[in-house]
Amino acid sequence: MKVIVLLDQIQAGLGGKEKADTELGGKKLAMGAADTLAKDLKQQKGDVMATFYCGTGYYADNRELVQGKVMRMCKKMAPDVLLVGPTYDYPEFAQMACEVGLAVQSGSDVPVVAMVAREKNADLLAEYQRQLDIVKMPKKGGTGLSDAIEHGLTLCAKKANKEDATDYISKYCY
Amino acid sequence: MQRKFEQVLMPVATKIGNNVVLRSLRDGFLVIMPLIIVTSMFLLFGNFPIPGWADFWTGILGQHWTEWFSAVSNSVFNFTGLLSCFGIAYAYGKNRGLHAVNSAAVAIISFLILTPTTLEVGKKSYSAVETVFLGPNGVFLGIITAILSVEIFKFAVKRNWTIKMPDGVPPAVSESFDALIPSALVVLAFFLVRVLFSLTDFNTAYNFIYAVLQAPLTHVGNSLGSATLYNFLASLLWCFGINGPTITNSVWSPIFFVLSQDNLKAWQAGDKIPHIYNQQFIDMFTTYGGGGSTLSLLIIMLTICRSKRVRELAKLAIVPGIFGINEPVIFGLPVVLNPIIAIPFIIAPVVNTVISGIVFSLGWVPLTNGVMLTWTTPPLISGWLSTGSWLGSALQLFEMVLDLFIYYPFIKTLDNQYLRDEKAAELKDVDIDFSNI
Repeated sequence: MKVIVLLDQIQAGLGGKEKADTELGGKKLAMGAADTLAKDLKQQKGDVMATFYCGTGYYADNRELVQGKVMRMCKKMAPDVLLVGPTYDYPEFAQMACEVGLAVQSGSDVPVVAMVAREKNADLLAEYQRQLDIVKMPKKGGTGLSDAIEHGLTLCAKKANKEDATDYISKYCY
Repeated sequence: MQRKFEQVLMPVATKIGNNVVLRSLRDGFLVIMPLIIVTSMFLLFGNFPIPGWADFWTGILGQHWTEWFSAVSNSVFNFTGLLSCFGIAYAYGKNRGLHAVNSAAVAIISFLILTPTTLEVGKKSYSAVETVFLGPNGVFLGIITAILSVEIFKFAVKRNWTIKMPDGVPPAVSESFDALIPSALVVLAFFLVRVLFSLTDFNTAYNFIYAVLQAPLTHVGNSLGSATLYNFLASLLWCFGINGPTITNSVWSPIFFVLSQDNLKAWQAGDKIPHIYNQQFIDMFTTYGGGGSTLSLLIIMLTICRSKRVRELAKLAIVPGIFGINEPVIFGLPVVLNPIIAIPFIIAPVVNTVISGIVFSLGWVPLTNGVMLTWTTPPLISGWLSTGSWLGSALQLFEMVLDLFIYYPFIKTLDNQYLRDEKAAELKDVDIDFSNI
C-alpha cells in the first residue's frame, strides 16, 4: 500500500505557527509526523510514498490553487490512499485537510482518509463528516493517539485493498 | 512494550484528564494565574535581587515606595485562599453546567461563612478578618468549599427547587430568583458546618482542613520523591502524545501552589524560605526549553547533527525553544510516539530534578522565592530571578550541559538514520515539483 500524507507546516517539521506562509510542496519521503505513521504503516505492509506539506496561512490565501494542485499531483502519482492529517485540534489544518481531501476524493480516483479531533472543529465536522471518512482522534495532548493512528491506517489499508469498510467507518469515523 | 505501557497508562490518564473535579482544580488555578504573574512583577520590582536596588529607588521615590508595590502584590497573595475558592467554583460550576458566576458567588460566601471574623488582642475582641485565613493557608479550605458549595447548589437546581417568575419578567431578575433557594440551601449548609466545628476541639473548619489535609499533603508534596514522580509522569505521558503536565498538574497543582505561596510570603517578609519543592522548582529547575528539557536537544541538533531534516528543524525551533515553546520539536522531530527520543526525554527532567533537589537541600543555591515568572522566561534569567542569586543560573547552566550528554547518543542515532534516508534520497530526486501541475 502506497500512502501520500498531507500535513501542515507544524506536523511536517517545518516550524511553528510563524511559518504558516510555507508554500505547498512535497518530498518523496516521510517527513515529521508522517515518519511516525511510516513505522506503523510497515505493520500494515504499507509505505509513505510522499509527504505533501502546505502552510495553513498559504492555504487560506490560495485555497482553490492548492486543492487543484494536490488533486492533480495525486492523479499523477497515483497512491493507493491519500491521508489528510492527523490534524489534532488545529482548526486551520483541519479545514485544509477536509477541503483538500474532498477535492481529491471528488476529482480523482484516489481514496481519502482524514484524521481530525472534534475539539475546535465541531462545525467543520458537521459540514464534512457525511462527505468524507474522518477518523476520530484526540486533540493535541489528548489521550488515545496510538489507537487513533491505528484506526486511521487500518482504514487506509481497507480502502487500498478495496475491502468493505462500512462497519469500520461507522465505528471509528464521525 | 510501548503498547503495554499504553494499555496501562491510557485508562488512568483518561480518567484523571476527564475527572471533572481535577479538571476544575486545574482550570480554577488558571483563572487566578494571570493575576499572580502580574502582581509577582510588582513584588519582584520591589525586591529586585541587585545590591543597592532598594536604596537607589528610595533616593528617587522616597521612603514609602516599597509599600506602594506591596499593596499590589498583597492584593493577591494575602487572598490566594479566597481567590482559589472563586476560580475553582467558577470552573467547577461551568463544568457542571451551572451559571459560573452564581457558582463562584455562593462559594465565596460559603468560604466567608467558615472564616473566623473576630480577632482577639489581649482581653479585647475586635470584629476583623485575619488575612492568614484568606491566604495560602486557606487554599485547601477554599478548594473544598468551592466543590461542596457548587455540589449543593447543583443539587437544588437539578431538582428545580427554584422560584419561577411569570413570563415577561426580565431574564436578569428571573435568573436572580432562580438562584434564591439553591443559594439559601448552600448558606444553610455552611452555617451548620460552622456551628458544628465550633463545638469541636478544632473550633473552625479552617483549623480542621489545615491540620487534617493541607499540612500532611503539602508535607508529602514537598519531597524529592514527589517532584521526581511529577516529572517522570509528565514526560512519560508526552511520549505517548498526551500533554503530561495537564494530567500531573491536576493532582499536584494545589500542593505546589500552596508551597510556592508559603515561600513567597516568607520571602516578602524577609523570613527564612521554607520549601525546596514547589511550582518554581518544577518550572525553573527541572526542564529547560519546555517539557523534556528539549533546549539541550535543540542545541545538539543545531550544532552537531548533520542530517538536513534535523538541522532545519533545529534552526526553526531554537528561538521558540529558548522561550519554553517546544511544539515544533515535539510534533516535528517528532518526540510523540518516538521510542528513541522517549528515553532521554524522560531521563533528562528526572536527572535534573534529582540534582536540583540535592543542590537545594545542601544549601548550595538559595531556595526559590515563590515569585511566579511567566513560563516563557528563558533559563539563566529565570534561575537568577527565582532565587535572587547567580547560583540559580549556574545550576541551570550545569543541568543544561548535562542534558546535552543525555540527549547526544539518542539524537545521534536518529540523525544517522535520517542521514542514511537523505543519502538514499539523494540518489533519486525526492522533491516534488508543484509549480507546473
